[in-house]
Amino acid sequence: METILLNVLNGITFGIMLFLIASGLAVIYGFMGVLNLAHGVFYILGAYFGLAALAYGVPFVWAALVGGIAVGLVGLVVELVFLKRLHKQLNEQVLLTLGFVYIFANLARWIWGPYAKVIDAPAIVSGSINIGSASFPVYRLVIIAAGLALAAGLWLFTEKTRTGSVIRAGMDDKEMTTGLGVNYGLVSSAVFFTGTFVGGVAGFIGLPIIPVYPGMVFDILLLALIVIVVGGVGRIEGTLLGAVVIGLIDSLGKAYFPDFAYFTMYLAMIIILLVKPSGLLGRGK
Amino acid sequence: MEALRVEGLCKNYGGVRALTNISFSIKVGERLAIIGPNGAGKTTLFNILDGQLRADDGQFFFFGKDISCMPTYGRTRLGLIRSFQLTTLFSNLTVLNNTMLAIHGILPSRFQMFRPIISYKDLYDKAHELLDSMDLWGRRDELVEAISYGEQRKLEIALCLAAKPKLLLLDEPSCGLTTDESKDISTRIRDLGTDVTVILIAHDIDLVFDVAERIIVLHHGEIVADGTCHEIQCNSLVKEIYMGSEATVG
Amino acid sequence: MGEAKNNTAKWVWLTGRHNRIAYIIVGLFFVALPLFMPPYLQGVMTKALIFGIFAMSLNLLVGYAGLFSLGHAAYFGVAAYTSSILTVRYGVESFWLAAPAGILMAVLVAGAFGFIALRLSGVYFLLVTLALGQLLYSVALKWQTVTGGTNGLINVGYPDLGLPGFTMNAMSFYYLVFAVLVISLFLLYRLIESPFGVALQGVRDSETRMRSLGYNTWLYKYIAFVVAGLFAGVAGVLFRHYSTVLVPTDIGVLASTLVLLMVIIGGDRVFWGPVAGAILITFIVHYSSIYTPERWPLILGGLFVLAVMFLRGGISIYLVKLWKRLEYHYGSIKS
Repeated sequence: METILLNVLNGITFGIMLFLIASGLAVIYGFMGVLNLAHGVFYILGAYFGLAALAYGVPFVWAALVGGIAVGLVGLVVELVFLKRLHKQLNEQVLLTLGFVYIFANLARWIWGPYAKVIDAPAIVSGSINIGSASFPVYRLVIIAAGLALAAGLWLFTEKTRTGSVIRAGMDDKEMTTGLGVNYGLVSSAVFFTGTFVGGVAGFIGLPIIPVYPGMVFDILLLALIVIVVGGVGRIEGTLLGAVVIGLIDSLGKAYFPDFAYFTMYLAMIIILLVKPSGLLGRGK
Repeated sequence: MEALRVEGLCKNYGGVRALTNISFSIKVGERLAIIGPNGAGKTTLFNILDGQLRADDGQFFFFGKDISCMPTYGRTRLGLIRSFQLTTLFSNLTVLNNTMLAIHGILPSRFQMFRPIISYKDLYDKAHELLDSMDLWGRRDELVEAISYGEQRKLEIALCLAAKPKLLLLDEPSCGLTTDESKDISTRIRDLGTDVTVILIAHDIDLVFDVAERIIVLHHGEIVADGTCHEIQCNSLVKEIYMGSEATVG
Repeated sequence: MGEAKNNTAKWVWLTGRHNRIAYIIVGLFFVALPLFMPPYLQGVMTKALIFGIFAMSLNLLVGYAGLFSLGHAAYFGVAAYTSSILTVRYGVESFWLAAPAGILMAVLVAGAFGFIALRLSGVYFLLVTLALGQLLYSVALKWQTVTGGTNGLINVGYPDLGLPGFTMNAMSFYYLVFAVLVISLFLLYRLIESPFGVALQGVRDSETRMRSLGYNTWLYKYIAFVVAGLFAGVAGVLFRHYSTVLVPTDIGVLASTLVLLMVIIGGDRVFWGPVAGAILITFIVHYSSIYTPERWPLILGGLFVLAVMFLRGGISIYLVKLWKRLEYHYGSIKS
């Protein structure tokens, strides 16, 4: 009984972690229609910038913010200098982000080296709690809490505020939002900043669970993609649901069908793409 | 012989009723114009007839054959050809290649994967003939994006004619053209033989009266009038719809 | 804000007598290559030409059909693996058996994957091709008994053509690859110029119009997908002989993105652009690994960004312009 519980908890933790990873990508894709292939790179950059802050003695939580903001600024530069000039050319925009994967991942490797970086959870949350005879790290509960807080925050923002409804409208119909006199350029820059910021923060706070190294950029991207495809784009609940579903599939898969675990995520993605391309909770396109 | 018979077509978008109970028929060789204010449902009707949209209710028959569920390319092979209001040409290909593609669309050799397309002598001659009739032969090696808008509209029509149409659905053929260019277009439409049936959507009243023998007026997705040009001109409801402006011309 | 000048680069046709001179010069260059290039560079060029075939196959989708696939290495890899497995595990020595088997496998997989992928378009198409490629990658990774997993599949040497008294060496392998490249270029060129090829470009420019002209556009995209898979397979079976070991990364996203880089940097709008891109990138990676170890992704990424932003025709457009200028000067000297 408790192994099942443990597997489920691990699955949920992984799922929430996936949500943290994927939500930045979901926001950018949902509003701008741009698939930011460099998402994985921003993730690791957040971890690296945050680590640099930690080395200067900045406390954990602030380091996470520093990491996120630094990454957000990088993202902003990419958006302002490059993406904006490819207005309305979606294929070219996606290709551009691919180019930045190569550039930034290699720069990261140059500066910080190819080996994985990992840190311990901050002291106050570094213990474990007991579930039956097994122990479950407290930090994972922190991750779950952080993820849920992010989900709640994003949900409140998009559903309950005016800027939020603009973004939601943009997700459904870009032309309309420009027609309403909204400064699409300003909002899209802000969205891009936010998306990369969230990705960067996720990279840093995930460090105690997921070590970071330059070679993982495509793996992170793929995980995020699977989540947004399965969960659907346009609603935060969708991304959250997709993330948790994938997390559970992966965790239970690894526990009960170890040989197939790697497949199941991709199979789930392909099946969803064929049956309901807009995702479990996505708005039909 | 009926070229087209439409029965009870309905189309809804969410809560909006784009088309309600559209029924009419048209004989071979007839020239019909469909007019109406913006949003009346004219382009939606065309989109259903050519297969881009599926109607929610109703059917339609092409020369007696039910084509309501046939894919677009199947309808083309039967002879139902449509032109587009927004120029929909192959912008990265030459005028000649655009035309050759149009001619090839209904031929089995369109799947040939080895012989160069320009080596098909008889098709090349047909393209020559077609482009000549539109005064476009001299521009044949230009990319479509390099020719003028008026020339593009003519090429639109040339492409439709290349596919051996029995029924032509012309969506705003003179859209954006000068008066002279419009007159040119109406002459060309009039010169199409009696074996070609034409349904025309147009806002240009001159074009309509030049070409059409019969007019159907759509308003809010419904047919509100169906008659000869003269009958429509005298129809007070139509005048009301158009605020008494254009319908009094001619 | 400045608009990036890209979509105005036209698809370029280089036919005509004076352009044949260019082709002859280039052809002679490649034929005479072993005479002036040291063996280790010859090897790099061999690899470059193999990737040239691979990149051309992808451009059939990207440049001519307008389909951006991020999983094209799947067919390249599956052909390489199949051909290898037949030789290494089942003792099939003959090139004439192992290679067609590999290509056939690539075609079958492309046939199956194309069926799935073409149910979607745009970004979703991109995603599903990526997922399918990764699926195959995970098969290569996990099916250790057959594929050797991360340790890879060790290959032994050059193709056995079964010709009495003749064993292939580096130079003859180079000529084999060059010959296959030339044949592939010829076939692809005919394909592009044929009714099918022009129709495919029509589908790229306006699928709606093509449908209303009577074309079953799905079928065109599907056939293009399978043909692209076929030529990727051709490159794959050659690659297997070049590379001493085959690893799962040859199937996955890293390989798929690298070949996309070759297509874009080389230019997807000039017929031979992808080959130029393949040659350029292969040599950049080679030299960079000597002089600036592990910096090549940075260089490639930079070139790629430049290509996307400012020169959507790739380097091949530059080369074409250069040739035209040479032509002009030569012409004015003659007269």
